[in-house]
Amino acid sequence: MDLIEKILSAGNAKADEVEIYLSTGRSVTARLKRREISYAAGSDNKSLAIRVISGGKIGVSSTSNPGRWEPCLDAALRSAQLANAQEWKGLPRPDPAGGGWINFDQTLIPDPARAGGLLQDMVEGAGAYPVEITSGSAEISRFSTVLANTNGLFREDRESLVSIGLEAIREQSTGYEFETSWKADIDAVEVGRRAAFLASSSAGGRDIPTGTYDVILSPVALAQLVEACIIPALSGRNVHEGRSRLAPLLGEEVFDPALTLTDDPFHPRGTGSCLWDGEGSVTRRLPFIERGVLRCFAYDLKTAYRYGKESTGSAVRSGMGGGISIGVHCATLDGPRCNLADEEGIWVHDVVGAHTANPLTGDFSVELSNAFLTRGGHFEYPIKSAMLTGNVFEMLKGTEGISREERVVGAFVLPSIRLKNQRIIGN
Amino acid sequence: MTGIRYFDIRHVRGEVTHIDSENGRVESAGTSFLDRAIVRVLGPKGWGILSLDTFERPGRENLDEILERGSRLASLTQQEVVLADVPSGTIPVPPLKEDPRSIDLPEKEGFLLEIEKAARMTGITSTRASYIERFEDVYFGDSSGNEYSYTICRCGYSVLAVAVRGGEMQMGYRRRHALQDFPLRHMQDDGRKAARRALALLDAKRPRGGRMNVILDPELAGVFAHEAVGHASEADLVQEGGSVLGGRIGHAIGSDCVTIIDDPTLPEFGFEPVDAEGSVVGPTEIIKKGVLNAYLHSRETLAAVGHGHAGNARAMPGEPPQVRMSNTYIREGDSSVDEVIAECRRGIFLIGTRGGQVDPGRGVFQFNAECGYIIENGECGQMVRDVSLSGEILSTLHGISLCAGDRRMHEGYCGKGGQSVPVSDGAPHVLLHDAVVGGSGSD
Repeated sequence: MDLIEKILSAGNAKADEVEIYLSTGRSVTARLKRREISYAAGSDNKSLAIRVISGGKIGVSSTSNPGRWEPCLDAALRSAQLANAQEWKGLPRPDPAGGGWINFDQTLIPDPARAGGLLQDMVEGAGAYPVEITSGSAEISRFSTVLANTNGLFREDRESLVSIGLEAIREQSTGYEFETSWKADIDAVEVGRRAAFLASSSAGGRDIPTGTYDVILSPVALAQLVEACIIPALSGRNVHEGRSRLAPLLGEEVFDPALTLTDDPFHPRGTGSCLWDGEGSVTRRLPFIERGVLRCFAYDLKTAYRYGKESTGSAVRSGMGGGISIGVHCATLDGPRCNLADEEGIWVHDVVGAHTANPLTGDFSVELSNAFLTRGGHFEYPIKSAMLTGNVFEMLKGTEGISREERVVGAFVLPSIRLKNQRIIGN
Repeated sequence: MTGIRYFDIRHVRGEVTHIDSENGRVESAGTSFLDRAIVRVLGPKGWGILSLDTFERPGRENLDEILERGSRLASLTQQEVVLADVPSGTIPVPPLKEDPRSIDLPEKEGFLLEIEKAARMTGITSTRASYIERFEDVYFGDSSGNEYSYTICRCGYSVLAVAVRGGEMQMGYRRRHALQDFPLRHMQDDGRKAARRALALLDAKRPRGGRMNVILDPELAGVFAHEAVGHASEADLVQEGGSVLGGRIGHAIGSDCVTIIDDPTLPEFGFEPVDAEGSVVGPTEIIKKGVLNAYLHSRETLAAVGHGHAGNARAMPGEPPQVRMSNTYIREGDSSVDEVIAECRRGIFLIGTRGGQVDPGRGVFQFNAECGYIIENGECGQMVRDVSLSGEILSTLHGISLCAGDRRMHEGYCGKGGQSVPVSDGAPHVLLHDAVVGGSGSD
């Protein structure tokens, strides 16, 4: 508190407005090499980000040593002098609705022994199939953040996170599975079992001919393609700066009319769920695409003020020092739920290279990982090697349903999706 | 403290300066500060590791407290880690050609805005440029009495141009990084090149994917060396049983024109004067004339796996060292580029990169080109876009039939295990027979 008041007071003497984002955290990590724990790590993290605004000029700086805040404040003030001035209507004011935290589990304690136990559980689960374990990790962390500004806003947040993953191999077939949650509810035995299943059942894969197939993308594969192309196109900054193909399509049908894409900051499973965003604006559900129709874009304060819009509470903090960008807190996809694997298709657990997709056009070509030909609800045989190629935007215009089950993947909680007539390049 | 076999401390303090401009406006410019340390304690079995922000190099009393914490963590480990006894030492950091600190921020802004301005040609609807400058003061000390410190500077910029015509939208970009130099002077041509590429891509077609002969330009062939071979040769993956190259030392895994080297001593973007655990750095011939010759190593993996030398442990500030590439390249051959194109006869010429990824255990890689040209009758024809290449490492290396003599290095960052480190990749023009090309075109 003293530190925050000291910085706000010193900054307020030299700038119109000052904002402080102070993050402190502790985490423990344990790693497996094959079946044994090879290292255990503990981490004490601190970071301070300062933003100052003077005459519509915004300056930023950050440090991993909050005790040395004075050079950081000076750097933020100098930074403001260099920026172009823009329309600015002020940092958020205190919200009478109060505060609280929605993704903090006080029973989730960063205890190295507990991380080690999660690894052992995954090893146990992997024993269900004849595989070798190559590596695994378990991390438990707790963070607390304070966001304060010279308009009197003071928000304290706490977050907890547990994240585990295991990689297994059988012959030359690999399987990687993971789980992330903000509460102590993950089933590490099941994660290990799934990783081993993927490696084991992918062995002895067959080639398939190049052609057009119905494809079922798992939440893991779907999240990567949506993250690479759809989410950037929904950023208000990209929309107004001429980098989004969705910019002229507000009110038009851009997805299959059965699909709804929402950012739900209050989703009970979202690891990024929050009551206010990274600069203190109150968050709200954003129905980006409602029954196929594009309804809105995401804004932070800076972009909203510049283009005469309202912040949608979409500022997220990321990277070293917690810089602000426009993002999603927990993106969800809704639509007609059904059994996706009843009819023949190619089920794809993961893809290699989704980040190489063209973020402007949505064109992509990715290698399939753990892909199977499915028929009658069963995996008929694994596919050795093939590429899925197409356009993310076009792909989501024609779906045949989504699964009832969903899973957390990064900033998404997504189902699997069945897509018609996708092009596969086989061998 | 009992049971501590070894410890080391790597402490990095530094300053990171950035400038972001968009459509002619400076969006953000300024300096941030970093101060992070990693302390590794090797207990009776494995490592206990502490990652600490706001680190003061400890006196004896504080050191005991830190080592005690590390020792407690190490007591949870089960795997007995052995460190190879290797030479420790540094080589000099190349001298600064031009010290970026001698140029004030408004002047740097001016240079960047000029590059961005050069991209604003007719038909270009959006431009963006960014600059980053990173100075790091690195200290390393270990329980064997080795102690090193050095300062290193890495800078880089990128410029992006977006072209729109009708409903079509395409982008072109250029990026450069520099070791110990200021890279922004007189680079407006990069802005123009980004714009021209974006405009040209509006008329490019999507190729129909399938198996075909492929020519990789030096940038993309460098990514191929990095993704397809470099990662799989990292001995931590070999030790875990997660690399398709495990157990293949001495095997012919590629055609005899393929020699792939990783060399942290080259004064390129992936240069390291000493690795992150104090080991002397040096070149490694991973593949020598098609035969797998060595892996990339830390001290731990060298003891466990063998075949090579230590010196490839690298780390971001405050993160544990991992086995990483540095400057990785395919050695040049003696063909001309014209000969490579003529030999291809029918196929595709892929240029530039949008990145790539590998599954080293399965031995499968994928990477995407920025653009390409159809090759018919040994000549370049129609421009194509959104084209990628995938394949199996072991079969693809046998498919390389010609290497030109024009090797060039390209700089970038490589991600692994949540850490991103500076690297460079390089190659000459390379001809690859019967590769799987991804493209969504219909003719």
